[in-house]
Amino acid sequence: MSGLYLWWGDLARGLHLPEAFQYPFVARGIVAILLLAPLLGGLSHLVVARRLAFFSTALGQAALTGLTIGVTIGEPLNAAYASIFGFCLLCGVLMVYVRRQVLLPADTVVGVFMAFTLGLGICLLVAATRQFNIHQIEAVMFGSLLTVTDADLLVLAIVAVLVGAGLFATYNLVLSDCLSPQLARAQGAPTALIEYLFVVVLTMAITASLKVIGALLVEAMVLVPAAAARNLARSTRGYLAWSVVLAVVTGVAGLAVSTLWRVPTGGAVVLALCLCFFLTLPARALRRA
Amino acid sequence: MTALLELDAVTVRRAGRPVLERLCLTVPAGEIHVLVGPNGAGKSTLVAALLGQIRFEGAIRLRFRRGGGIGLVPQAFAADPTLPITVAEFLALTRQRMPVCFGVTAAARRRVGELLERVGLDGMGGRRLGELSGGELRRVLIANAVDPAPELLLCDEPATGLDPEAVERLDGILLDLRARAGTTAVVVSHDPTQVRRIADRVTRVGSGAIRTGSVDQIMPVDQESTYTAPSPAPGRAGATGGER
Repeated sequence: MSGLYLWWGDLARGLHLPEAFQYPFVARGIVAILLLAPLLGGLSHLVVARRLAFFSTALGQAALTGLTIGVTIGEPLNAAYASIFGFCLLCGVLMVYVRRQVLLPADTVVGVFMAFTLGLGICLLVAATRQFNIHQIEAVMFGSLLTVTDADLLVLAIVAVLVGAGLFATYNLVLSDCLSPQLARAQGAPTALIEYLFVVVLTMAITASLKVIGALLVEAMVLVPAAAARNLARSTRGYLAWSVVLAVVTGVAGLAVSTLWRVPTGGAVVLALCLCFFLTLPARALRRA
Repeated sequence: MTALLELDAVTVRRAGRPVLERLCLTVPAGEIHVLVGPNGAGKSTLVAALLGQIRFEGAIRLRFRRGGGIGLVPQAFAADPTLPITVAEFLALTRQRMPVCFGVTAAARRRVGELLERVGLDGMGGRRLGELSGGELRRVLIANAVDPAPELLLCDEPATGLDPEAVERLDGILLDLRARAGTTAVVVSHDPTQVRRIADRVTRVGSGAIRTGSVDQIMPVDQESTYTAPSPAPGRAGATGGER
């Protein structure tokens, strides 16, 4: 990767970009955004189609609790992947299982789990801050380019390939199940399996993206690109394309803003995405008129 | 003729109260069997039980002869109307391997075109699903259910929202499927004209009593006015209760 960083430094100097853009961590950030934005942007259109916006918010929050569990039991603060993934997966699978078993609205079940993970996270945060400075934990909560390593990029790349391949193979089944589980079941689709597998895929993507945009903001990244894309798209093809394009464009823009004005990358990316959502709202209104 | 579908003492309970009680029914292969009865009698519940989507007591036996295949025209289609998906993409979901988010393949597009023509919606593949009227959406669901020709077709009030010409077209499709592919159909209907046009046998469900017989036995002409009209705003099909 060092060759890439040298090339990037030369390119930034050649383009007369501000000095801050010449550092290797910016090159790492660009690679991370180019992996993460299509991954989360692409997933977001299915998250919104499956009405899992609140569910993904709960998973993002569970990631925070997973992080505090990880550092409490001795995992490294900068790579607590096992605890984050394990706890998110456990919460996700339990949320789906409980929702399928009890006759309660989905948002009620998700809300209960969200309250549980928040309560647990707050209690464990006290224990975690005995071992680490709260600012170190904040970096993981809100994301920071400075803490992204080559190993994180490798994890992100592997997850992006796995998620992409998994969704390519099952996309039509997943979308059929979104539209009408009853129809999908009648056509022989294993709808319960699809639901659980989607939770696994979403958890993998959220866990791998944490280091760049943070635990609290990753949930916005799996929601807002699709929300903005809905304002523009007329077909599933357009829906996916706009979700990915908006995620990539706002990701790069957010990274540039974050580098120039030294604001958290996650916050800058999500603000850029939300701006896109509000700017595209008139397109939706025009279409309906 | 061999039975394709057999229900043996099927009971479905909702909140402890039986909606269907010890229902026994045999539907021979290739028969168009119509379920009639008032709202709340348990017709849609029976369809949900046939699909294995609700818990029931007793036994339901399906004896497919050529590898199975169930087509379903649901009573309600609760998909998000704001979801950007075209009619062609929806119909291509089960007709191509390539994810529809990368486009509809030429082969699927041809097949979708033929299907839409069959239900009288020629050239509407590019329309968004959420922009369709209730009747148009119903016709898309019919097109989806009848291709490839299923061995068992379940239609839960398929005529709801359709104009008389469209109902006649639907009936033609059902009769054609039976003649061409030997499809067995179980149809829930409130429309006496439709029942007379398509039914081989009729089962009347309701008030705890279940009667099966020919159209004339179950629906004498002088009693037809007692049937309720199709509901303009159908509810969600299938009672709750978990999967089989």
